[in-house]
Amino acid sequence: MSTKPDKVGAVLVVGAGIAGIQASLDLAESGYYVYLVDKKPAIGGTMPMLDKTFPTNDCSMCILSPKLVDCGRHLNVDAITNAEVVDIEGEPGNFKVTINKKARFVDPEKCTGCGSCAEECPVKVPDEFNQGLSPRKAIYKLYAQAYPNAYAIDPAKCLKIKKPKACGKCLKVCQAEAINHEMQDETIEIEVGSVILCPGFEKFDVSQLFYYGYGKNPNVLTSLEFERILSASGPFGGHLQRPSDGKEPQKIAWIQCVGSRNCRIEHGYCSSVCCMYAIKEAVIAKEHTHYPLDTAIFFMDMRTFGKDFEKYYDRARLENGVRFIRSRVYEVTEANDGSGNCRIRYSNEDGTISYEDFDLVVLSLGLEPNPEIVELAGKLGLELNKFNFCEPTALTGVGTNKPGIYVAGAFSGPRDIPETVMQASAAAAASAANLATVRGTMTKAKEYPAEKDVAGEIVRTGVFICHCGINIGSVVNVPEVVAYAKTLPGVVFADEKMYACSQDTSAQIKEAIEQYGLNRIIVASCSPRTHEPMFQETLREAGLNPNLFEMANIRDQCSWVHMNEPEKATAKAKDLVKMAVYKAALLEPIASVSLDMNHDALVIGGGVAGMTAATNLSRQGYQVCLVEKTDALGGIANRLRFGMRGEDLPQFVGELVDQVNNDANIKVYTGVEITDVHGFVGNFETTLSSGEVIRHGVVIIATGAEEYKPTEYLYGQNDNVMTLLELEGLLAAKDSKLTGAKNFVFIQCVGSRDAERPYCSRICCTKSVKQALKVKELNPEANVFVLYRDIRTYGFYEEMYREARNKGVIFIRYSVDNKPVVEAGANGVKVTVTDHVLGVPVNINADVVGLAAAIVADRNTNGKLSQFYKVPLNQEGFFLEAHMKLRPVDFGTDGVFMCGLAHGPKNLEENIAQAKAAVGRACTVLAKQSISVEGKSAFVNEKKCAGCGDCEAVCPAKAVQVDATKKVAVVNEALCKGCGACASTCRCGAINVKGCTNQQIMAMINAL
Amino acid sequence: MEFEPKIVAFLCNWCSYAGADLAGIGRIQYPPNIRVVRIPCTGRMNPLFIISALRHGADGVLTSG
Amino acid sequence: MQKLAAQIKDAAKKLLEDKKVDLVVGFAEGSLPLRGTPLFARTPEEAEKLTWSRGCENNLANYLRKREGKVAVVAKGCDARSIVALVKENQINRDNLYIIGVPCTGMIDRKKVEKLLEGREVLAIEDIGDAVVLKGKDFSETVALADLMHNSCLDCRYGNPVLYDELVGELLPEKGEDDFAEIKAFEAKTTAERRAYLAQEFSKCIRCYACRNACPVCYCTECFVDCTTPEWIGKSAADVQDNILFQAVRVFHSAGRCADCGACERACPMGINLRLLTRKLVKDVKELFNAEAGVNLDDKAALASFTADDPEPFLVKE
Repeated sequence: MSTKPDKVGAVLVVGAGIAGIQASLDLAESGYYVYLVDKKPAIGGTMPMLDKTFPTNDCSMCILSPKLVDCGRHLNVDAITNAEVVDIEGEPGNFKVTINKKARFVDPEKCTGCGSCAEECPVKVPDEFNQGLSPRKAIYKLYAQAYPNAYAIDPAKCLKIKKPKACGKCLKVCQAEAINHEMQDETIEIEVGSVILCPGFEKFDVSQLFYYGYGKNPNVLTSLEFERILSASGPFGGHLQRPSDGKEPQKIAWIQCVGSRNCRIEHGYCSSVCCMYAIKEAVIAKEHTHYPLDTAIFFMDMRTFGKDFEKYYDRARLENGVRFIRSRVYEVTEANDGSGNCRIRYSNEDGTISYEDFDLVVLSLGLEPNPEIVELAGKLGLELNKFNFCEPTALTGVGTNKPGIYVAGAFSGPRDIPETVMQASAAAAASAANLATVRGTMTKAKEYPAEKDVAGEIVRTGVFICHCGINIGSVVNVPEVVAYAKTLPGVVFADEKMYACSQDTSAQIKEAIEQYGLNRIIVASCSPRTHEPMFQETLREAGLNPNLFEMANIRDQCSWVHMNEPEKATAKAKDLVKMAVYKAALLEPIASVSLDMNHDALVIGGGVAGMTAATNLSRQGYQVCLVEKTDALGGIANRLRFGMRGEDLPQFVGELVDQVNNDANIKVYTGVEITDVHGFVGNFETTLSSGEVIRHGVVIIATGAEEYKPTEYLYGQNDNVMTLLELEGLLAAKDSKLTGAKNFVFIQCVGSRDAERPYCSRICCTKSVKQALKVKELNPEANVFVLYRDIRTYGFYEEMYREARNKGVIFIRYSVDNKPVVEAGANGVKVTVTDHVLGVPVNINADVVGLAAAIVADRNTNGKLSQFYKVPLNQEGFFLEAHMKLRPVDFGTDGVFMCGLAHGPKNLEENIAQAKAAVGRACTVLAKQSISVEGKSAFVNEKKCAGCGDCEAVCPAKAVQVDATKKVAVVNEALCKGCGACASTCRCGAINVKGCTNQQIMAMINAL
Repeated sequence: MEFEPKIVAFLCNWCSYAGADLAGIGRIQYPPNIRVVRIPCTGRMNPLFIISALRHGADGVLTSG
Repeated sequence: MQKLAAQIKDAAKKLLEDKKVDLVVGFAEGSLPLRGTPLFARTPEEAEKLTWSRGCENNLANYLRKREGKVAVVAKGCDARSIVALVKENQINRDNLYIIGVPCTGMIDRKKVEKLLEGREVLAIEDIGDAVVLKGKDFSETVALADLMHNSCLDCRYGNPVLYDELVGELLPEKGEDDFAEIKAFEAKTTAERRAYLAQEFSKCIRCYACRNACPVCYCTECFVDCTTPEWIGKSAADVQDNILFQAVRVFHSAGRCADCGACERACPMGINLRLLTRKLVKDVKELFNAEAGVNLDDKAALASFTADDPEPFLVKE
């Protein structure tokens, strides 16, 4: 009898929003089986509801849907939807999870997502996905691109579920026989080694704040309602209008901090994301209108602290003309002129009271934890903070008080998508670190028959044309298209199918391949985006290379969009089939490429981020080289004394350094730099200044950043003026310079948010507030002044800001064009600042001036590494990630990752999370035996290539290079993403893309 | 007879092609004069494709991505 | 002119004598006036034939691609720009190339001379500053240089070579910005007018591809127009649309790389106004990307580099 392994190589992920999806994908790609549980009938969470995303203004759905598809189709992710976790018992490595899987009443295996049922269903229900602004049916799909692409029945609304003899219209129309009104809830038990909680958030329930008029005035909307109005898939097809009367609004206001920074309702925290989303909504709303739209944001402090957020704010203000009104809003009432407009009454900064009317008012709702998850957390004994968020255990980024249970996303504290994604990857790394010994024990891999060699065979194309129930067949004359297909060159078999995607059709396709010797397959049905992989699977099962397949989209792009023109739709379907047939004749098998890889990692930078990454990689069982250019580990954290949440940082850093030095898997190099780099993912060769060459498969860049050396405010000229890091040292030492001091002044935004560095350094507000409190602790009698532009104590740090004010710290806002003046005085220095309430200059005789100096990138180091590893920097010299939203630690170049301050300003806790995230992503590479790529890459005809290098210049993946001796371009298939930019650039026609060659595309054009 | 233009569209698989699918899911009706060629990325868009499509009788070419 | 010729000769001889280079590419006198012909000198003796005149119109960059050994070239402004473009495209190894730069005040267009002399044959040409004396059997005419120069030379702002290892003669004063007047005038026409003009112009095309062969940056092993799989465009000169498309793609391929040396137009036996197209692209590249071909070794290829600020005039906005 074999002994059961002591741990389970599977992970439970609770909540299938972007965090859950990211964590699942990272884990599944790293060798773990994942159970992804969500209470909704589809995965996706909140992100599908959003229209655009800041700061790139990418369409939310566009960037999410590839991940939805990847996650949904992943062999090692079991997405359990319509389900809730009831209980988790056990210990790290061995948890037993009880899941209640609610009846869906539709079998997702059988449902093809065609939607005929919903068309027939007579029951209309407010669509919660559209925030109730439009109806859906009782049988519904959560949203258009949902995975699983299957319908579900709302049992509370379905007539037949309420009365078994009633209705049943959906049953009649569903030709796939997927609907069963008698389905029952199920209880499932699973075993996992780790648990990740990422259930997301709920929006603040605004009804408790009557003064905003929500529910009373129909033109007061929530921010999520407004997202849906902006969305092209929303209730008005993206047309900006008031839901109440359809009027195009001329003026829209946003009110910030609704349900945030409000102690009276126990929401004393800052929700961190609302400033940015309000700006985004205002900017996007302006893009939506063909007339000038007036937008105004009523705010207290503008908290655009994330990477590139400040620039977004600047652009909104200066280029897009969004108005920003620093104010406190008293109430929103109706304008009483019959217009339905909303009147905002507010107090200005100087205490005067104004009001202004708007067509629409959008309430920027804060985030709060989901009560059901709070209940589950209670059952599990998870410690939550006073607001019921599951704040990570200090300096773990993702840990909870329960070993083996991790947290990611907004449940750990309000946060935006990039940070959520980061934390998700970090949670994946943390949960995998416990399970390294059982990696790969639960994952599945599929076996296929050997591939038939079709080289040199005459083209024998089989065409399968789908009715999709009535979705295609009721518009397009399918038999006519079949008859037409039979006349096309190379076609030896054509047939029609009721559902091409059903199990039995799959078997029939395989049979036909065998019987007719087919070597090219065409399915004319729905979108290749959703169904191509499935049909390609059928080809593989039949021993054909999956790339001998082509689809014609005669549903989504034909029958559904030309419903009233059946003849023309039929003609179009014929053309689409013809194009596919012409292309298919030129299709060739594409072999996937496999290359050996090195499974060691290089971490550059021995600060906390680099060390955290190294120790985590080591726990996953990988060998790590950690390179630090100075002589000691620790980085800038060596100068930190007080953690934001009171942690003893010197002790933490000391222990981490010891841990790294004593780890057998980690080889530490200090006092050396990188001098040269060759190779690519899986096969890097990095040369150190010592001459040593390190071979590694991946690299994590964690080069940190520096504190700006101010040139202003008498810094360097007067001993009483110091940076926060310098002040921190004195505070910790209880230096006599401080103990005797009476007046302390902190000046914020020194070297940040200016023309030279148009970014917010993110942590200085919190740091100053923390130090102000330390000063008060040291000497309660001291006067402490914080001179600021916006206080950006985001998240739970808002509590600290409140505490500081309660303890008498005085906050004075200055305006950027009237900065404080620091002059040398008889005793200490004289600081003059114009108070924003009084409007008059205030003089402070300061004993100590603390400058909140910016965090600046190490341009020299970063610049070199950027060239060595072919990864970009942004204008400020920080590394630029592959995608600001969804790939926050990745680069376009495979196998290169980053974390920490090298990416941009953030605090220690966040750096630790990001370091783990980089490991989580790196492990998806390291876990592979070899580098295997699909093979749809570019290839070079050396005879034609002139070696001009334009392909090299345009390749975003740095996958092509001109060989120095042969003077021809060479493609690295391991890196090529198959985008084809090279092929479009090549004048000589020497470079082409497998699966989408010039010849194939031209064949399609010729078919017209 | 009314002029019926023939339009060839080159759509990026990841955005515009998905958008065209979404139009279908939303049952947004539009004239059936368009023939879509799916490409892996608008980066694949060789200008010669446009010229060739026009040569082969297309009255218009839409590139979107 | 003679002085320059002597200096070029001396420089070339010295390079060959010192074995610094294996070959000098320059100009020799042609069999007829204004018919300067490329010379490939491998010995100091052969270098004796080198010369410099108003007939050295060929772009010698054409002869430098993928040569073995060390080569020196006599380069006027446009040659130098094309050389720079080719160095950047890995076609010329800068380390093996020695550039004898010659500031150029313009070359004479034989066709303009022929037109002016109305059939009389010119036998000798004398350079007298801003004018030239055309001498023939029974005549001698003094004509302003500007009236005889190639159009490309009239538009040229880079008489001084942008890159050289040795300069003969004196650098010329900088010229003002090109105003692209004729391109602006063409752009101002209606689409129908432009189409009519192009149709008329390209009905002359016989698809001899001399324009392509003369162009220093047209060096593909197989030109798209010759390609059969796929066949991008028709190959018959009978189809004017195909002729236009051929030229459109040809000039597009040279966009951001074309130094406006005028070789294509000079080579055209049918007298097609090819520089209308090449210069339209030169203008567009300059306006859109603030780029000029071959003016330095550092600029990235205008059409093969991307910045977030790139203009996107082709985007359709709602």
